[in-house]
Amino acid sequence: MGMGNTADQWGLLSKILHWLTALLIFIQIPLGFYAESLKLSALKMDVFIWHKSVGMLVFLLLVLRLLWRIKSTIPKTLGVNQIQQRLGRLAHGLLYGLMVLLPISGWITSSAANIPIKLFWLIPLPALVGPDETLKSLAAQVHEICVLVLLVILLVHIGAALRHHLLLRDDVLKRMWF
Amino acid sequence: MKLINLTISLCCLLYASFVSATDWQSNPSKSRLNFAPNYEGMPINGRFTLFSVTYTTDAKDQPIHLSVKVSVASADMDNSDINEAIGAVDWFNITDFPEAQFISDQFLLDASGQFVAKGSLQLKGHNKSVMVPFRWETMPEGEASMIGELTLARNDFFIGDGEWASGEQIGISVKVWFNVVFSRAEASQ
Repeated sequence: MGMGNTADQWGLLSKILHWLTALLIFIQIPLGFYAESLKLSALKMDVFIWHKSVGMLVFLLLVLRLLWRIKSTIPKTLGVNQIQQRLGRLAHGLLYGLMVLLPISGWITSSAANIPIKLFWLIPLPALVGPDETLKSLAAQVHEICVLVLLVILLVHIGAALRHHLLLRDDVLKRMWF
Repeated sequence: MKLINLTISLCCLLYASFVSATDWQSNPSKSRLNFAPNYEGMPINGRFTLFSVTYTTDAKDQPIHLSVKVSVASADMDNSDINEAIGAVDWFNITDFPEAQFISDQFLLDASGQFVAKGSLQLKGHNKSVMVPFRWETMPEGEASMIGELTLARNDFFIGDGEWASGEQIGISVKVWFNVVFSRAEASQ
């Protein structure tokens, strides 16, 4: 298996980036809900540092993926018909968009809430905006709506992958696996 | 006879100094009292929005008395959740100790020529001797400014008790800085 993508197969780098992102997102969503459910405490602050760190890691992986997408070829889209192919592209576009919107809205929420960020207790991030309660509420709402949309799109994404694999028996899931 | 003369002279001097003493009162809309604890080593700025400072100087513009009263409940860290949390028992405990006070009648000059008020800070029911360095400058129109900065250890006053006491997440040192603008009150009699 080559590192780069071909017309029929995702390369090793794309696969690693995809599954690593998937793993982090499945850790990240429950982390966020858990952190939000806690009362202000040392534990809550630590869970939030994990949440912010993992979120920024997903964002970093996304940047790498997009750069790799530009540099490498993309396997041709598989689908039963054109509408499904378009829906697939739309879902992937939404996933990418959400992976940008979520960390940025989270970062703005934290900055507007006057809480500095230090990723993995090591890397300080600058504040994107100054303290602002109205902006904080707005960014937090965007963050929440985005995560709900993400959950729906993820269900569609996983459902579609399983449908391709189990019902249509094509290579969509197989070519992303190792 | 000499003793009587000396006593009279001293009394006159004392009287003169009192007569020419000036009381200064802080102007709330122009004054700032800020504080910044550290979260994971990064400062989070906050301020007290309600406080009052009275200051008395003698005829030579030297400090005689300084009194600061702070409404601890007015602490504002630009975050309503944090503002609510820091009023709780582990932090400021504003229900039992709504006010902090600093009083000084002893003033020194440090190496850089600025005043240092040595006094007692009463905060959350605990008293601690604190040195407050400041620069005092008179301004036109009967105003004056007092600018200074100091560092307090929050555990001296048991602020951030319980799980916060270690200083691991929220550091022990808290920077406090102020820029207080005063108006001249009527002369003491």
